[in-house]
Amino acid sequence: MNFAWRIYRRLAEAFPHEFKLAYGTEVTQLGQDVFQDIARRHGITGLIRLIADIAIRVPIEYLAEMRGDMRYALRALIKSPGFALVAIISMGLGIGLTTNVYSSKWAFLFRYLPGAANAPNLVMPDKPVSYYYVEQFREQKSLFSGVAAFQSGIPFNVTFQGGTSSKPERVYGQLVSPDYFSVLGVQPQRGRVLSAALDRAGDSPAIVISDRFWRNRLNSSPDAVGQILRLNGQIATIVGITPKDFNGALSIYSTELYVPNTVSAALAPELGDDLLHRRNAKEFMALMCLEPGVTIDSAEAALDAITRRLDAEDSSSPTRTDKGKRVTLLPAGTRVPIPRQLRPVLFGFFFALMGLVMTLACTNLANMLIARGANRRKELAIRLAVGASRFRLIRQMMAEGILLSMLGGVAGFVLAYGLSILNSRIVPPTGVPLENDFSLDWRAAVFAFGLALICGIGFSLAPALQATKTDVIPALKEGSTLRLPGYRRFGLRNLLMVSQVAGSLMLLLITGFLVIGIRKVSSTETKFDPNTMYLLSIDPVRDGYSPEKAQTFFEKLPDRLQTAGPVRSFALAGQAPFVLKDEDDAIQLTVDDSGAPSRIEQPVIEETVGSGYFDTLSESMLAGREFEESDQRIQTASQAVASKNASLPVVSSVVTPVATPAVLPVVMNETAARRLFGNENAIGKHVRDDNQSYEVVGVVRDLKSGMGIIQSVMYLPLTSRDFARPPAGGITILVRSDAGSDALSVVRNEIASIDPNLTIFNAQSLSDYLNSSRSAIRLATQTYGGIGVFGLVLAAVGLAGVTAYAVAQRRKEIAIRTALGATRAQVLRLVLREGGALVGVGTVLGFLGAMALAKMLSALTNIFVQALSVGTNNARLLVGAPLLLAAVGLLACYIPARRSAQIDPLRALREE
Amino acid sequence: MVMNEANAERFLPLKPQWFHIMLTLAGGEQHGYGIMQDVLSRTAGKVRLWPATLYGSIKRLIEAELIEESDERPAPELDDARRRYYRLTALGRDVLDGECERLQELVRAIQVNQAPSKQDQHVNQDDMVTE
Repeated sequence: MNFAWRIYRRLAEAFPHEFKLAYGTEVTQLGQDVFQDIARRHGITGLIRLIADIAIRVPIEYLAEMRGDMRYALRALIKSPGFALVAIISMGLGIGLTTNVYSSKWAFLFRYLPGAANAPNLVMPDKPVSYYYVEQFREQKSLFSGVAAFQSGIPFNVTFQGGTSSKPERVYGQLVSPDYFSVLGVQPQRGRVLSAALDRAGDSPAIVISDRFWRNRLNSSPDAVGQILRLNGQIATIVGITPKDFNGALSIYSTELYVPNTVSAALAPELGDDLLHRRNAKEFMALMCLEPGVTIDSAEAALDAITRRLDAEDSSSPTRTDKGKRVTLLPAGTRVPIPRQLRPVLFGFFFALMGLVMTLACTNLANMLIARGANRRKELAIRLAVGASRFRLIRQMMAEGILLSMLGGVAGFVLAYGLSILNSRIVPPTGVPLENDFSLDWRAAVFAFGLALICGIGFSLAPALQATKTDVIPALKEGSTLRLPGYRRFGLRNLLMVSQVAGSLMLLLITGFLVIGIRKVSSTETKFDPNTMYLLSIDPVRDGYSPEKAQTFFEKLPDRLQTAGPVRSFALAGQAPFVLKDEDDAIQLTVDDSGAPSRIEQPVIEETVGSGYFDTLSESMLAGREFEESDQRIQTASQAVASKNASLPVVSSVVTPVATPAVLPVVMNETAARRLFGNENAIGKHVRDDNQSYEVVGVVRDLKSGMGIIQSVMYLPLTSRDFARPPAGGITILVRSDAGSDALSVVRNEIASIDPNLTIFNAQSLSDYLNSSRSAIRLATQTYGGIGVFGLVLAAVGLAGVTAYAVAQRRKEIAIRTALGATRAQVLRLVLREGGALVGVGTVLGFLGAMALAKMLSALTNIFVQALSVGTNNARLLVGAPLLLAAVGLLACYIPARRSAQIDPLRALREE
Repeated sequence: MVMNEANAERFLPLKPQWFHIMLTLAGGEQHGYGIMQDVLSRTAGKVRLWPATLYGSIKRLIEAELIEESDERPAPELDDARRRYYRLTALGRDVLDGECERLQELVRAIQVNQAPSKQDQHVNQDDMVTE
């Protein structure tokens, strides 16, 4: 019982100060009066009930006081709308930008795949492998509970049975092994997923659709499961729908269909040439689920040994004697598999970026609260003198900071929402649409408001502590004109100011580096007006054509286009021009020079282009020649079995020997030529990859992708193989026309006259294509530019506020100096000296910080290296940015400082 | 008058603890312990106002200006110097009257609702007698 009474008394002392003052004695007294009675009547239950009553009431009273504090803070802020608006805007900008980075980048890179229960245990090799290797990996039951294979970014021309339009729609999906979903641990929301037992080769094709496909293209029909579609002209049945938000492994590509790789090549031309059984066809991404207890390191070591053995068994493999690691495993449970050593670097980068932005916003808030607190010094002194607890006053002052921060959180969330809409409109210059649905979800809201609360509490505490740390008597005597320590001491205010100036300059410089650098390296130079070139893509094979029919079509097309009125020149290609290809798709080329002491190897990106391609782009060759029609007729891939019935697609089930020529002619860009051959003439030189030898017949200048990355590119001639198995983006037709003519319609008509049922897609002018594919760059430069301006504005506002406050504090001192004969200029210099010193120190620190951060960023990724190296060498920026900040800072100090020179000494001295 | 009624109505329906406290004070000034004991006895032990809840409610009643601390003390022989006394304000009286009326209307409505079933019982009994 004594113990229970002690608890009761302790809880009674825990009430908020005001409640304790008013009712503390009564509560304790009443408790004492009824204690024995309750113990007697109700025993231990009653005592527990008594203690529970007071324990619950304590936080209720605190909450009630906080509510009162918030109402008071709201009234105070309504009376100072300017102050409130600036604080809300600065916090809103900081929280909005940070939430946007969190939801679009952080979550993208670090969050597990939604719907995949096995995501934490998934791994994949960093390079594609052949299906034969996947099957060998699958045998390692001690390492993996399951191994699946998939190919992503696969296009399908889909026709809906009974649909109003017979025109197929181009939809992108994945070709997956039947155990794909079980390896990922995905359960369907309707129907079933693919399974090895039910979906075998030769069975009627069953497919699984995504939630988005079901909602957007089938109107969420309850009868979707069981519905029949035509994929590339072949019948397939929908058997299941994946969970909402599930977008497959490696889900940077938009994925709406999951098709088993047991289907025929007629349905999926990618599987032609008996791809599944070709040992060297490294076309599949392997996805593995680690067995419990197996680490990624041990799995990697074991897999490396297995790969080495498999390579050694294949006498035709060129890499069988290679030394060094064969396999690197990446964690594959997130949207983008990231190498383990890169994870902490990326984590650190985003953390630093978000931290910098928030620190700026919060130090600005703290500075403004400090100035505001100083003005209330007399009021606080009176309240302390009449018995208010310091803790109570601190809580009340913090309520203002928290309220501003939470309102900033609301504004920030709205900003982040707007930015996410802008983000989702980016169309990157890749052939396959990317999954860029970055809509905000509840996690982003929790993040934004959690951040607002933490920052509000953290950055309003120090100003509240400072404001209430006051000697009551001097404060009552001198009131709010009490002089605070000057700039010579390391006061909190001065530290905050210096860090704000330094942080703002760092932000300004880094964003300036990026904006200028990106702009400079990302300009796409065409030697003609991009409005006079049109691009359109067709994919006859996926419209149901046989390879022979497709070949015939592409042979007929040039004749038709040549006679089309406004068409001046045209060319075919396997991709749009100025496209950015993934570095991971690079192939390793070796210079074929048996006399050299050591062989030179370089990764190059492959592009396939037809005859007259460079001429159509008005690019003259730097050396040699470009492709001719004879290059286009080279036999390469396996021969297709011609179909008697032209409407039946070809089934390529027989592997015929590949009729490859000894050497294939190629054109290189100048970067590739320089990296492989140095200053030597590249024409006539030979290079080879794993399967093929090439002879360089021409060199062309670098055609910049516009994303600031210079790549080594090798151009291969477009051949019958490409017509038989078009790439994911189809075959692109480039058409140059006279200015002002509608060549696009003319070309459409010509194609329709050959076959009106062919699907034409991605039809646009080159100008429109470049604009939309540069939208990412534009958004990046606008965002970075905005961030830089944001830092500048914050610094200016903070400096102005602090100087205004300093002037107000030193009224008496200034009045005395003026009375003793100081001139206006001398008074102005006195006030500006303090602000100027803070700006000076902050500028130096900010400059050094910016250069260090730029070096760090360059070490992280290629994208930053080129932009930053251009930016950091830009003298105008290096000198201009600090000067700009200093000028803005001094101006921000000067305007309130002018008021100091207008102080009437008599009035100021009479004030008390 | 109308304004007072409007003011009083915004507090209705009253929270149960508030009602009991104000009902006790309707009989005259009282201190916290007295309020607690009065409520306990009036409800035959069914409603106990625990100390923290009691003073939390008193605090809110004072903020709402329904009760106030009384500066008058009872006779010395009845006075307990440790205690503070509370009484109803005019507004508090109006609010309590309003609440009592509301509760009475509720009781009337219940009685009306139950009345037909009692009439039915009488009718059935009459039928049985006739048969």
